[in-house]
Order: sequence, then structure tokens, then C-alpha cells
Amino acid sequence: MRPGEALELASDAWREIRAHPMRSLLTLSGIVFGAASLVSMASLATGLREMAYADLRAIGFPRSYALRDFGPRSDAVTATERRHTGLRIADLEALRAVRGVASVHGRAFAGEQLVVGPRDRRSVPVEGADAGYLELRNLRIVSGRTITPVDVMHVARVAVIGEEMRRDLFGTTDPIGRRIRIDGVGFTVVGVVAPMPIGFIPADFSWVARRIYIPYTFVSRYRLGEGRVSQIIVTAREDAEFASVMQAGSALVRQRHGGVEDFNLRNEAADLLSDYAMADGILGGWNGVMFAIAGVTLVVGGIGLFSVLLISVRERVREIGIRKALGASDGDIMQLFLAESLTLAVIGSVAGVGGGVALIMITKLIGASFGKDFVIPLSVPGIGFAIAFALGVGIVFGWYPARKAAKLDPIQAMGGV
Amino acid sequence: MLLAAAALTKTYRLGRVDVPALRGVDLTVQRGEFIAITGPSGSGKSTLMHILGCLDTPTSGSYRIDGEDVGTLRGKDLARVRNRKVGFVFQTFNLMPRLTVEENVALPLKYRGGMARPERRKRALALLERLGLSDRVGHRPDELSGGQRQRVAIARALVGEPAILMADEPTGNLDSKAGANVLDTFDELHRMGHTIILVTHDPNVAARAERIVHISDGVVV
Ligand SMILES: Nc1ncnc2c1ncn2[C@@H]1O[C@H](COP(=O)(O)OP(=O)(O)OP(=O)(O)O)[C@@H](O)[C@H]1O
Ligand SMILES: [Mg+2]
Repeated sequence: MRPGEALELASDAWREIRAHPMRSLLTLSGIVFGAASLVSMASLATGLREMAYADLRAIGFPRSYALRDFGPRSDAVTATERRHTGLRIADLEALRAVRGVASVHGRAFAGEQLVVGPRDRRSVPVEGADAGYLELRNLRIVSGRTITPVDVMHVARVAVIGEEMRRDLFGTTDPIGRRIRIDGVGFTVVGVVAPMPIGFIPADFSWVARRIYIPYTFVSRYRLGEGRVSQIIVTAREDAEFASVMQAGSALVRQRHGGVEDFNLRNEAADLLSDYAMADGILGGWNGVMFAIAGVTLVVGGIGLFSVLLISVRERVREIGIRKALGASDGDIMQLFLAESLTLAVIGSVAGVGGGVALIMITKLIGASFGKDFVIPLSVPGIGFAIAFALGVGIVFGWYPARKAAKLDPIQAMGGV
Repeated sequence: MLLAAAALTKTYRLGRVDVPALRGVDLTVQRGEFIAITGPSGSGKSTLMHILGCLDTPTSGSYRIDGEDVGTLRGKDLARVRNRKVGFVFQTFNLMPRLTVEENVALPLKYRGGMARPERRKRALALLERLGLSDRVGHRPDELSGGQRQRVAIARALVGEPAILMADEPTGNLDSKAGANVLDTFDELHRMGHTIILVTHDPNVAARAERIVHISDGVVV
């Protein structure tokens, strides 16, 4: 078909549509709603995914892995096995020299300790950490400062306390510079920490607010002893180097421990990736459901289109007879009605896409009025899909009425003449 | 020989009953002839015309236009013959109510394929001019008198330059003055060399033709 012919078909169809404005509008509404919901659903799904990913990134373990202490092996037999009884600060220092390593952080768990503040006393999990680690976990210092390298080096008796601990231990008074006792030892509170706000990920990170962080060197020296650490977190400089850094790091420590497996390796980046994959799976399922709902709306719109076209065919029976008598083939008649159906579908889907975009804008505005920045990128594939699907609906549901029209007998259609 | 029909039969089935409308019609038409088909009501005039005009197909018998066997054609081929070989004028005009006079006349050319709109328009306007309807081109059919409508229908039948012009009771829905006017148009077209077949039960109308074919009970008598 030449473009001129197609254009003429479309303009004839448009004339027909305009001849029945009310009926056409009713038909259109189904398609408009279907396309609008498809577009907004697709965009919303993309937006949700982006926001979820942003949250995952906020939890953050970029390019990091952990060496986790196993402690002395209970089945230790050989002298080497008895000599190597877990991770040490010395291992941590040695890891700094591995090529591609960006940073190395120590963690030392002191477990639940009795903490005495001016207002109350509590049993609180106390964790030895450093500034880099807190940063890595995206813990937010809400007041005061973090645990500095100098604190770590000097085994300083400073504490960064979780937000809830501040409430419990200090009430409304400012805790910065105040003293607390942890298992009988006096510490100066230098900072208050809070978890990052988590948007769409259903994970509870509020434990951060119920913890107390002190230099890991302190826990290592006075609680674990022998320079032991509970975990060593290693981060790589480049994504590309991550695997080799992990390999080289664990090989180094194993070698230092005479091959004794007194630690294990946890690839936190990979865990995160699997979280991504899981989120993707969940969102994918969601997308499917939403697409299906939107699709059903469009199909319902198609059924409206179908019945209106049938009415149109019945109304135009005589006209069809005349056209056939003048030499229109079955194909010409089919084209006539498919053009009407497709024109309705095009108008409906374009209006629907417009409506969908408007819906997204409104959602964003509502979000903004609640102080939330909804990231809803317009889903171009969603728009394409909505239009393509609407056209498909136009063809599928236009087919039978068009065929019915095309098969009419000219004499009978003209009323026996 | 322009048109040759031999032993045409048409039988309608009404439920279990067969209604024979044509029972073996032979008819030949030369180029340039003006023929009137007459006969009592129900004798099969319209049935014959529909078959001759390729609007319907015979139950049996052979039918040729310009040597082409068209009696056996179906679908697209039949549509092509309707479009190119035959111009049909109906008793009830059968114009398209939403199209203008000019669009109505140009409509058959649309189904010829490949003719651009301006060309179709040009031909329609030329024909309307010839039939004295130039001042009505932009009107809708319901804004015209019966006689004018039928002349528009004639223009539409002629626009594709068909081999034969066929008319089934073209004056049946017209008053005598308008009817006479339409018949004058047929006379003039005949003088210009058009081949015309006209169905009528009015002897006065039939008298204007060169040859009268009388049908009774589905056979030529
Ligand atoms: N579609 C049809 N189904 C059944 N019978 C039909 C059909 N069309 C015509 N007939 C019958 O065929 C016969 C011939 O009809 P036709 O219309 O050809 O007559 P006619 O000569 O044109 O009559 P008139 O002068 O009244 O127009 C009639 O008996 C009619 O009842
Ligand atoms: Mg008749």
C-alpha cells in the first residue's frame, strides 16, 4: 500500500469516527485507560526498581569481602594447627600490602556488655570498628564525630553510640563529650550514629541504633586478647580487580597461618549481587502482574472496540453493498473497517500514553508534596509496548467485524435492490 | 459480440424450496446497442440484470463479456469486472449519503487501484459537467432532487468508462418529468456510442430502446 492510500484510508476512517463522536469516545475510553495504565505501570515499575537499587547501594558493601575468624580449631592436632588460632591484627596489616587493595578494616565483637550512662544502665552489644568500616556500611553520624584512625592507633577509649542508646543512656541531654562505663571501663562519647533511611527494601537495620561502636583495637587488646580480630573487611580499588584481590588476600592469610583453615571468606559484594537478583526477581514478578492488569484493561477496551465496530458494520451494511457493487473487493472492505479500528486504537493509545505521562507527573507531584523524591523515569519500552499492544488489540478485535463486512453479498446488503 | 449469455439459470433456495428465478436465458448484446428488458413483476428481470452486471452469479449457464468468461469468476476477479466492465444504475440511486456528489462519482475509481486523488477528482468533475451537474459537486445527495440524484448515479456508473451501462428501473422512483430527463440522458449516451441495457416494466420507456427483450417466468419470450 502506498503511503497516500494509507493516509486516505485513515482520513476516511477519521470522517467515520467523527460522524459518531459519542460512540467513538466511549470506544476510545477503554483503549485510553488501558494504554494509560500500561505506561504508568511500566514507568512505575522501572522507578521502583531504580529506587530499590539505590537503597541496596545505600546499604553498601561495594567491592568488599570479609575474612571471618573461626578461632582455635577444636580438632586441632598438629603443632601448626594449635599455633594458629584465628585472625590477628597482624594479618590485617599484612593485607594492606596486597596489590589492588583499597582499604582494610578490623571488626572485633565484644558481645553484650553492661553499659552505664548518667540516666540508665543497659546490656548493649559493643562492636569494635573503625571509621572506614562505619562509612562502608553507610552508617550516618548524626552528631559528633566518627572513630578516627588516631583513635584506632591509640586504642582510645572513645565510643560512638547508636541513636536509641543515646535516648536510653542520656535522655534529652547532649551525650557528646560525656562519659559512659562499658563493662567497668570509662569511655568518652564522641559521636551518635543512626542507620541510613531504607526506602523500599523490607529490611530492619534499626539494630544499628541499639549498638555501641568503639575502636576495634580496644576490643582486640582487652576483650579478645592476643591481637585477635573477629573480622577483616577488605575492599578492592577496582571492580575488575575484585576477584584477584579476594583470591590473593585469602591466599596470603592462609599462607601466614601455615595453611590452617581458621577463617573463612565471605564475598559481601556477591551477596549484595544476589540481593539485587532477588529484588529483580520480585520486581519482575510485580511487573508481570501489573502488565497483566494493564493488558486486561486494554483487552476490555478491545472488546468495546469490537462491539462498536459490529454496530458500525450493521449500520453501514447498505453502504458496504454499494461499495462492493462499484467494484470494492473483500480486501477493500476489510481495509475500510480495519482502518477505522486502527485509527481508534492509535488515537486511544496516544491519548492513553499522554494520560499515563500525566499520571506519573501527578504521582511525582504528590510525592514531592510529602517530601519524597519519586524517581519515575518514563518507560520508553512501556510506551512502545502500550502503543503496539493497542494496535494489536485494534487489529485483533477489528478483524472479525471487518471480515463480516467484507463477506456481505452486495445485492442482499443493498436490500435486494 | 460484447456480451454473450447462454442458458443462464438462477435458482434461489428458500429453506427446502427451490425458487427458479431464471430458467435458461440466452442473450447477446452488440457493442453500442440500447436494449430494454421488460416483463411482469417477478419474471426475473432484476435477477438477470444482477447476473449480467456481475453483482450475482448464475446457478448454471455461461456468460462472457468481451470474450472473458465472467460467469465463473469469484471474489477479487468479480470485483475487478464490476469495477471496469459494468456501470450499474439502481432504482433507488444508492448514493453514499455522507459523501459529496463529486466524491460519490469518483468512488469507483478508488477501487481501481493506483489512481491518485486529483486524477479521480478531475474525471468525476468532467463527467458531472457533461451531465449538467457542475453546480452540485459539493452537495450531499439529500440536498438534490430525485432526477439529479439519478443523474449523479449515472455519472458514477460511467466514470470508470465501462463497456456496458446497466440500469434496473432507473425511473421507477422518479416523477414523470424527472424520469423523462433521465431517459433523455440515456438516449444521449446511446448516441455517443455507449452500450446500454435497461430494465423496465413501462412500455413507453422500453419503446425508446432499439431492441426489447421480453422476459416471462424466467425465460426470454
Ligand atoms: N434473494 C432472493 N431469494 C429468493 N427469491 C428471490 C430472491 N430474489 C428474487 N427472488 C425471486 O425470484 C423471482 C424473480 O425476481 P426478480 O426480482 O428478478 O423479478 P423482477 O422481474 O425484477 O420483478 P420486479 O418487476 O417486481 O422488480 C421472484 O419470484 C422473486 O421472488
Ligand atoms: Mg426488479
